[in-house]
Amino acid sequence: MTEPLLEVENVDITYRMDSEDVHAVTNASFEIGANEYFGLVGESGCGKSTLAKSVIKGLDSNGEVSAGTIRYKGREIQDLSEKEYNKEIRWKEISVIPQAAMNSLNPLAKLSDQAIEIANVHTDWSAEKSVDRLKELFDIVGLPESRVTDYPHQFSGGMKQRAIIAMSLLLNPSLIIADEPTTALDVIMQDQFLKHIDGLRDERDLALLLITHDIAVVFETCDSMAVMHGGQIAEKGTTKEIFSTPRHPYTILLQQSFPDARHPDRELEVIEGSPPALREEVDYCTFASRCPWAEQECQESLPPIESMNGNDSHAVSCFRSDEMESLASEHLNTIGRPQANAIENEGYEDDD
Amino acid sequence: MSKIKYYIRRLFVTVLLIFGVVSFLFIAFRLMPGDYATTLAGGGASSSELEEIRESWGLNEPLYMQYYHYMANMVTGDPGTSHVSNEPVLSYVRAPLMNSLILVIPAILVAFTIGSIYGALLGTKSGTAFERYGILPPTLAGTTPNFFIGILLLLIFSSALGWFPVGGMAGYETYAEVESHYEIYLTTDFWSHYVLPFTTIVLTFLYYPALIMRGSVIDVKGQEYTYFQRIAGLPSKTRFKHLMKHSSLPVITLLPAQTATAISGLVLIETVFNWPGIGTLLFDSVLSRDTPVIQFLFIIVAIWIIFGNLIVDIFYTVIDPRITIED
Repeated sequence: MTEPLLEVENVDITYRMDSEDVHAVTNASFEIGANEYFGLVGESGCGKSTLAKSVIKGLDSNGEVSAGTIRYKGREIQDLSEKEYNKEIRWKEISVIPQAAMNSLNPLAKLSDQAIEIANVHTDWSAEKSVDRLKELFDIVGLPESRVTDYPHQFSGGMKQRAIIAMSLLLNPSLIIADEPTTALDVIMQDQFLKHIDGLRDERDLALLLITHDIAVVFETCDSMAVMHGGQIAEKGTTKEIFSTPRHPYTILLQQSFPDARHPDRELEVIEGSPPALREEVDYCTFASRCPWAEQECQESLPPIESMNGNDSHAVSCFRSDEMESLASEHLNTIGRPQANAIENEGYEDDD
Repeated sequence: MSKIKYYIRRLFVTVLLIFGVVSFLFIAFRLMPGDYATTLAGGGASSSELEEIRESWGLNEPLYMQYYHYMANMVTGDPGTSHVSNEPVLSYVRAPLMNSLILVIPAILVAFTIGSIYGALLGTKSGTAFERYGILPPTLAGTTPNFFIGILLLLIFSSALGWFPVGGMAGYETYAEVESHYEIYLTTDFWSHYVLPFTTIVLTFLYYPALIMRGSVIDVKGQEYTYFQRIAGLPSKTRFKHLMKHSSLPVITLLPAQTATAISGLVLIETVFNWPGIGTLLFDSVLSRDTPVIQFLFIIVAIWIIFGNLIVDIFYTVIDPRITIED
């Protein structure tokens, strides 16, 4: 395996609040290779956006990476100053498709002017060069070139979405962080958006960090993925591994809580309870309080993240991961889940 | 529709509106109780004298003829003659009008500038103690009746401390020295009389721009695109510029309306400070039923509001691209 593009290693992120600290992310590690599409899933408040923001230095002023390292192309970036980061990394190397892509354009400025403004900060491009570049990208995302001088309000929602993709590609980054890009969209727009994202892969050397709460979107789009719960990475691996052989209880239950077109009669799993508030140092498994198979140990110490069956990519953070396969199938048989033979029959990856 | 076409249409509407207001004033003044001729003649006039007055002022003609003369006079820029001074209204009103404008226009501009800056400051510091308590002073000043603020200022700075003169626009000596009326504006005596009424207007009108700017900044600050600009690495100076441009839109809308309010609200402030402006003039004219003068002053205020809105509408199409011009 070549050197990964982005390495997040044992990262803790803490928000300083008035009276107490919130430990939003604990001991998170993952890697994204060049040209790899990586999905980060988890429920609201699990720390996935926080983790992504730490990579792009977009944390709120009271949040900081309190431990661990973030390396981009082998270089530590978590302690770079805003100025250095702006000069060397931001937008040229790592850019962002924000959560509310449709409202992320300045309503009072032409798109071309907004592109010029961004390019001016990071490069010494002339105004014409920036506009030409934007036209090129408009072509790629399927917008008419002539409309670069339009204002955002002259675009439909879908067009704004595509314009934002063009903006994020402006300086030809190697990694794009897409933070819940499909959350505000209806399913048709979602599908279109994912097709565009997917299409980019063929056009250029581009890696993607896709943040979402929708595990189906990740299965559809990404090469590998990580599942987060309560600020911890529960399980990571290739999409195929996690889809067909999930080993963390949260992943298993999460997958069972989505309807499956192949088994319409199946009962959907419900994950009871809610994640802990993370107000004190986290030295336990944050899923333990909701886990049907939790033991004393899970409440008392943090499970290390360990590779499964000597497999390099698939790793799980659970004390009982080895028994999980049998425990889960026992549990699931009682609610009538058919065996997951899953990905071979590709039933629901239905590409028109 | 092109912008030029829009401007032309907007201008046409403006003229129509002014025509409407002028006509309405004609009707309103005819509806007022009392008889012109009796007022003009004063007490104890005989009926033949009254008849003579009616004849000479055209009050015997049918109403539509009166309306025709009235409109013709307005269009040719002749609003009549003041009953009180027997001077043409235009020259009679000119000096008080200038006195008022020189007071109210700078005061409103200063109030809006300080108010917006203060409001923007509150907005950018939202959530802090400064924002919570900082809103109190302008609210207090803005909700206190302006004549009361005026009296308070007089009490403190004129009576107690003796820093500024109590009233009027200039002392007798100054009036004696100057040759034409407008030379007064160049004397220091005038400006020392100017300070207190000016401050009163500024204090009264700080309130709206401060509050609206604060709300607007908080609103715009929370919009998603400001986060995108931050994450895209735009320097804070650039982002601040965008924030201010966007937030100031509602304040700009407020400006002409507030200026008009200030002009019509001048009656009280000018009375308190004995300022020889149109407020005082209006007050005196109403007492002496000097109809042509009152009528003309009303028309001036109406035209000011109508033109102010025209200017804002046109300005908007320049500053805010989202204003679309539709047929």
